[in-house]
Amino acid sequence: MVNLILINPIYIIGIGLGTAFLLGFFKKGKSVAWALMLAALAVMTYISFTWLWSFIFNGQLPEQVYTAGFKPPFSINLLMGKSEAFFTFLISFVGFLGGIYLFDKLKEQGTHAISVYLILIMGLNGIVMTRDIFNLFVFLEIASIATAGLIVLTPDIKAFSAGFKYMIASGLISGFLLIGIIFAYYFGGTLNIDFLIQADLLAVKGGVFAVFLIIIALLLELKPFPANGWGIDAYEASPAGINAVISAASAGAVYYVLSKVLPIADAKWYTVTAVVGMITFLGSNLMGIKQADAKRMLGYSSVGQVGLLLVFLGLSKQLGINFEFIVFGIIISHYLAKAGLFWLAGIVKTGKLKEWGILRRKPVLVFFMGTFIFALLGLPPFPSFFAKWTLVMTLSAAGMNLWVGLILLGSLVEAIYLFRWLGYTVKLDDNKELSLSTPLYKTIPVWVFGLLTYYIGYLSSTMVPGGSSLSMFYIPLAFVGVLFIVDKFLPVLIKNTVSIAAMAYYGWYYMADLTEFRMLFAIIFIGGGIITLIAGYAKNGKRIGFYPFAMMMYAGLAGLLLSENILQFFISWELMTLGSYILILRGKKSMPHALSYMLFSLGGAFLILAGLGLAYASSGANSISLDILKNVNQYSGLIYAFLAVGFMTKTAAIGLHIWLPGAHAEAESDVSPMVSAILLKAGMFGLVVLMLSMGSQSLGGVSLPYLLGWLGAITAILGNIMAVFQEDAKRLLAYSSVGQLGYVVFAMAFMSHLGWLTALAFALNHFVFKALLFLAIGGVVMRTKTKTMYEMGGLIKRMPFSFISVLIGIIALSGLPPLTGFAGKWLSYNAVIEKGWYFQGFLVSIAGLVAFLYCFRIIHVIFLGQPKDKFKNIKEAPLPMLIAQYILIGAIMLFSIMPNMVLKPVGDFLIQYFPDGALQWQGGTAISRLGRWSGVAIMNITMGIFGIIFVWLLFISRKAVKVKPFNIFYSGEAPSRPELTHFGYNFFAPYKKAVGFLVQPLVTRFWYGLADILHSISDLVRRLYNGNGQTYAFYVIIFMVVFSFFTIGG
Amino acid sequence: MDFGQIAVSVGFLLILIGVWGILTQKNIIKIVIGFSVFDTGLHMIMVGIGYVKGGTAPILDGAIAPGTAPINIVAGIVDPVPQALVLTAIVIGLGVTALMLAYVVRLYEDRKSLDISSYEDLKW
Amino acid sequence: MIFEPIQIPWTILGLFIVFNVGLILTGTVRKIGARVGRRRGIRIYQPYIDLVKNYALRSNFTHGMMFYLAPVFRLSGGVGLIVFMPLIYDSVHFSNFSFAGDAILIMYFMFFGTLGMALGAGEGGVPFSAIGISRGLSQVTAAEIPLILAFLAVFIQTESFSITEIVAAQQGGFLNWTLFTNPLATATAMLAFLGSMMRSPFDIVLAPQEIPIGPPTEFHSSFLGVLSTNRAVFPMAKTILYVNLFFGGATSWPELILKSFLLYMWSVVVGTIYPRFRTEQSIRWFMKYPLILGVITILVLQFG
Repeated sequence: MVNLILINPIYIIGIGLGTAFLLGFFKKGKSVAWALMLAALAVMTYISFTWLWSFIFNGQLPEQVYTAGFKPPFSINLLMGKSEAFFTFLISFVGFLGGIYLFDKLKEQGTHAISVYLILIMGLNGIVMTRDIFNLFVFLEIASIATAGLIVLTPDIKAFSAGFKYMIASGLISGFLLIGIIFAYYFGGTLNIDFLIQADLLAVKGGVFAVFLIIIALLLELKPFPANGWGIDAYEASPAGINAVISAASAGAVYYVLSKVLPIADAKWYTVTAVVGMITFLGSNLMGIKQADAKRMLGYSSVGQVGLLLVFLGLSKQLGINFEFIVFGIIISHYLAKAGLFWLAGIVKTGKLKEWGILRRKPVLVFFMGTFIFALLGLPPFPSFFAKWTLVMTLSAAGMNLWVGLILLGSLVEAIYLFRWLGYTVKLDDNKELSLSTPLYKTIPVWVFGLLTYYIGYLSSTMVPGGSSLSMFYIPLAFVGVLFIVDKFLPVLIKNTVSIAAMAYYGWYYMADLTEFRMLFAIIFIGGGIITLIAGYAKNGKRIGFYPFAMMMYAGLAGLLLSENILQFFISWELMTLGSYILILRGKKSMPHALSYMLFSLGGAFLILAGLGLAYASSGANSISLDILKNVNQYSGLIYAFLAVGFMTKTAAIGLHIWLPGAHAEAESDVSPMVSAILLKAGMFGLVVLMLSMGSQSLGGVSLPYLLGWLGAITAILGNIMAVFQEDAKRLLAYSSVGQLGYVVFAMAFMSHLGWLTALAFALNHFVFKALLFLAIGGVVMRTKTKTMYEMGGLIKRMPFSFISVLIGIIALSGLPPLTGFAGKWLSYNAVIEKGWYFQGFLVSIAGLVAFLYCFRIIHVIFLGQPKDKFKNIKEAPLPMLIAQYILIGAIMLFSIMPNMVLKPVGDFLIQYFPDGALQWQGGTAISRLGRWSGVAIMNITMGIFGIIFVWLLFISRKAVKVKPFNIFYSGEAPSRPELTHFGYNFFAPYKKAVGFLVQPLVTRFWYGLADILHSISDLVRRLYNGNGQTYAFYVIIFMVVFSFFTIGG
Repeated sequence: MDFGQIAVSVGFLLILIGVWGILTQKNIIKIVIGFSVFDTGLHMIMVGIGYVKGGTAPILDGAIAPGTAPINIVAGIVDPVPQALVLTAIVIGLGVTALMLAYVVRLYEDRKSLDISSYEDLKW
Repeated sequence: MIFEPIQIPWTILGLFIVFNVGLILTGTVRKIGARVGRRRGIRIYQPYIDLVKNYALRSNFTHGMMFYLAPVFRLSGGVGLIVFMPLIYDSVHFSNFSFAGDAILIMYFMFFGTLGMALGAGEGGVPFSAIGISRGLSQVTAAEIPLILAFLAVFIQTESFSITEIVAAQQGGFLNWTLFTNPLATATAMLAFLGSMMRSPFDIVLAPQEIPIGPPTEFHSSFLGVLSTNRAVFPMAKTILYVNLFFGGATSWPELILKSFLLYMWSVVVGTIYPRFRTEQSIRWFMKYPLILGVITILVLQFG
């Protein structure tokens, strides 16, 4: 690599300090002063950069910088190692960009402010590099005084009171630090950190006191929960540009200091650090839930992230060689994302989260906001994802499962408020009265950090163990990237065509070699994807933000099938979740539903991650191949349960289903079939992989498949009953999906040949008819602009093709012969009797009966009965949607006539997993031990009878007169309010009276109750922060006392 | 009890008094004074720690005979390092106090109140 | 078994017999009912006259596509049931097209007609027919729940879905009938049977006092003709299925007709004695005694 000339790092300090003094001469020329500051920062950044470059590419060794002509301990020395180069680069770089961003504010306040800003950056650089503990104290003080000064860059009363609180707390803390330092000097005889470490203070009587004070002061500087009110208030009060620097640079610097000073203590202190970090991580994120102000919420999030870093620091010994990578990933994500988000907060200006809709005026900024939020939460392809992945694997391998659980829990809580915020931004009103000023100097930093997030994400992906296998994502994600870039310019027609072509190409070249289950699911994912995209031609305009995310979802789905190791699998899972989340969020009223979808999905993903971590550990921690699931030695029940529940958040098993109806119903017309007919199968594929690898496991003496069987049966029946009572057509279909996937889980739980054949038949069938139904109903909804069924009626006359689609769809759904649905029913009876799960089988059969009720309802209330006046001139659904539907109808017909075409090969490959009980095929006739079923014969006979009777009836009623709906019973006169003559509301009232108690929204109530409790706790705990500076100081003291119990006292 | 120990003890006492003031006084000027007391205590501890019994000022002047072996010089003077440090600490303390007082002025201008509980706008 | 063209005429013959038996049975039952009520009643062959009259009516109107399809669906459902079911045990000629499927097929095919009928009536556009359908569907599905349990019990017992094999298992004396080998299941089935025969107490769907006009009122002339054809076929199909599953099947036509008649009379007798239920009452009723009996039956088989 190119050799860069290394510049002595002392110049970082020198230039910073010197320029700051020099600036005093530019009282008038504020712009000149500002430019000078930027130049200084640029040089400082460059110096660190040269070092960083040399460390990474040229094998540079760390270098000591001595001052005053003496070697330590007789003088202060600086160290420039790889970490120092990294941190100083981060600090100066964000300082530089932040300086650009703060152009208006700094210019307004003049040269003094500019010097203070420069001093802050210089101080932070010094904190990182110095190896002298007193010097460290000085730099800390410089930084903290400068910070206090910059908090009031927007001089209002809030800022001053926040600054005062900040001063009280940080004054106390630095006082204690100084006592600690002086005693460390007294007991250790030196101020040099390296010599102090050698001096082993803890061995000296009284030395523990010094160690205690130094470490706790540094910890307190990092704003541990709950002794951090002063920091949070400062975040809320100071200008966003300053916050970006505090959050991105200061937190990193102090963190690094702690990591270099902590070796003066022993293992116990590390543990305590980890615990403090964990409490901070959980506590701050819990409090974030209740925040309504962007900066304050981000403040909580920042503090939480630093807490997470403390956890890593405390566990650094256990993390071993992966420590650096993990810390790198989390720090860099936090650095980029938090600075970016604070900058965005400054652009939006309004503090209120609910007013962030104005950001939509600049879609690219919304894009970066999403980027930053995903990066913070550790979603792929961002660096934090790879860090979290490595973290979970490493901790699991070390057997530290509690830590894994708590970290994932905290991340989930963080996701609650961050995704809610994103939802507000994307969906809530754009208040015209608010202004959004986006001068270049404010957007450029956001752009730079946004793009860097992707680049660093790519770099991290190459560094993670197994990272070379991730090249499989390059092509699809590059395609998604291109779509993002051209999204603003191209019309739907082109993007849709390109997307279809890309999917077809990808499917053909990369997935044609797949076999067995993977092939089957490839047909559903890719084939289904193409068909639903065809329907997309019905949309006009540009449809910004649709195609990139749709393609991301499909990339994830395809990735699941192509995965060979757990890393690929998990990334695919997350990509799919991410893409589908945005797709769902696009619906008009889908904001709360998208949020609950995302939270359930993330919760599920974390369970999967935890399960994979356990599996990795329990199979020897030396391979990440998917096959490790087959070699699990311990925790097998737990792993099975985690993974199964994780996957079932996608299949929406009862209890985990509450996100589904809203998410599927509120999505756009062609998104509903994607997420319902296709996406749910991803969960099923997960279960396939799990069950084939791990077979049957039990937990606490209970067989897990047995439990799954019950869960599936109950899901089937309750899902279907709930569907019966819906007034909203798409919700009805959505609940129906819950029930149908219940069948699938039920049948898979059999762990038998017939059971799995049933499950796959159900799955294929559900894919086809649910896509068909959602497309048809979607077309109707597009025309009528309502989803409420009883507002429609009599549409058969206006939309006959849609009617036929729905008719075929419901016959297939309800399992009536001669269409495909019957295949699943027949197989399931066989499987049930063979397995002996009679009662569960009975529940599933009733579910089928119940399905019949809602099937009738949806077709009757929409298409039959009295037409409404306002829909008299309504048009048939758009042609592309009909084309998509009729392709699906073709598939249903083909599968109905020749079920053997699909089921026989499926049965053939199932034999290697479940050799017993396979079906015998005689041509198109399936013969089981119990009975027989010939799809083609049934179809021919039924159609024969049907045809004969039809022709006969046509003949005998050839003279029939066609009449209008009111001709007979109303003597040809329309009643004054025809809507009263359409029976559609509360259609199955008698059922509701008789069994309505079964579908009380208990589950919904449970989750909402949980959410309420979480909010109440958050609300209660945040009252600790009563806004009084003294109280905050008091918490600092309390924190010290408690901390002393666990370190010195204990 | 030599001079150093006395200084350290008094220093701790002052620190306690300072912390007590910071935590209990409602008047923000008194809180700032609490800090000053706290800082003074701190400085006393620093000086006290460096004290060597019978040692002279760490200046190479008449108090130390020329030609004394370095090792004996060290034994004969008080530790110069804390004394150097305390100078820095005093400067920093001054800066902090000044900044806080500047804040107090601004706060008072705005609300005409010196009670810390008047400034709880930001919370939760 | 595979399909041979010679089966077609034999199946049609079987169908013809069943159809006539059904018509006569309808007439007979109405006659008996009238006599019990001390009325003169209709002529036994009155259903034939009604049928001919319906087909011959000249005034004829339609509401549209689904209105046409409804009677077709309905009758196809009824005829399909007969066609997919072996009528006479061990008879080459009257095994119909049972090679296409088994009892599961029959169970699900029963809904084929129901669906079409409901849809057609819906297109008529009169809200009362929709109300009638809603009630009818609710009630039929409720009755079907214990029925499934009873059927499942039989399947489990004989380890087969094939009606022929189920009948074979009941040969060799009436003590081998499911009625005696599994009385619980038979009792459940017999209670469920009432629900689908459209007789009191479960006849609210057709009850003129409850809604002025129900689904069948929507249809007239030739449409009604097709429907009344089905009214002769469908109950017979159901009865024959019961005979096969619970009462030892039949080895000859007379046996089949006799058993069907007696079985049919069961719903008639109950209907004459008990007053009508409201829909939610009948749902609750089915959810009580038949369901509990059925669940016990299944649990005994699963865990017993």
